Amino acid sequence: MQGLESFFEVGLNHYLILSTLLFACGLAGVLLRRNVIVIMMSIELMLNGVNLSFVAFSKYMAMLEGQIMVFFVMTIAAAEAAVGLALAVAIFKRFREVNIRYFEQLKG
Amino acid sequence: MASESFLFWLVALLTMAGALMTVTLTNPIFCALSLAVTMVGVSALFVTLDAYFLAGVQLIVYAGAVMVLFVMVLMLFDLKHEVKAFTRGIFSGALKIATVGLTAGLVSGAIFATMRVSPPTGEPHLAPANDLTAALGQLLYSQYVFGFEALGVLLLVVAVGAVALARSKGGTHAGS
Repeated sequence: MQGLESFFEVGLNHYLILSTLLFACGLAGVLLRRNVIVIMMSIELMLNGVNLSFVAFSKYMAMLEGQIMVFFVMTIAAAEAAVGLALAVAIFKRFREVNIRYFEQLKG
Repeated sequence: MASESFLFWLVALLTMAGALMTVTLTNPIFCALSLAVTMVGVSALFVTLDAYFLAGVQLIVYAGAVMVLFVMVLMLFDLKHEVKAFTRGIFSGALKIATVGLTAGLVSGAIFATMRVSPPTGEPHLAPANDLTAALGQLLYSQYVFGFEALGVLLLVVAVGAVALARSKGGTHAGS
């Protein structure tokens, strides 16, 4: 019965496992998909998983620095999405498709 | 406590379903919509962790701005169902899935092992939720003000760079 109780009593463990699963989903997307835009969505998934573990630690360790870190990560993720989508637009204008294999053609 | 754990499981299932659909669906528009569901779910998880300010920022920045950017680019491209959405090759595909499983397993194992050795002690004792956002602002504008300013500069550079990249004529491919 002890195991069942710890299963339903939500704690740091639960959030960390959920964040691991989100990260694994994102990793699978990055490795398996061929569409550049979907790959970037998967990267956002990975960043979200890491953010979740930061906030969970911030609560359960009673330290606010984790939330500051999440704030920075969010900003940089938004910037990364803007640059990546600009690259995708540049590729699409040339090849009319956004498959990842066309990115080896990118030169100055 | 029961309602709290019920809320957690509900939102966690929603978030994981969104994440799985983002990775597995072949139509990129559906991927974007599932990603939006995941973002809202993560924002709700932030609320259950008393990070109200970050939950709001998550909704505005991710579920708002970044998702609009993704959907707008998808609409611009007018992508249909992808014929080859996934990588080909049985062996390399199996290797990649094994990599993902190994990563998830290793990290989960590390979490469980750590929790057995040193479980978190007692209740967390952060300030009351009302003061948390104020404390976050104090910290951000005092100790981490340099990082904050650097982020501002980075955002400016990225805005200019994204515009320059998107309207470039294609570098070495310009003539062809």
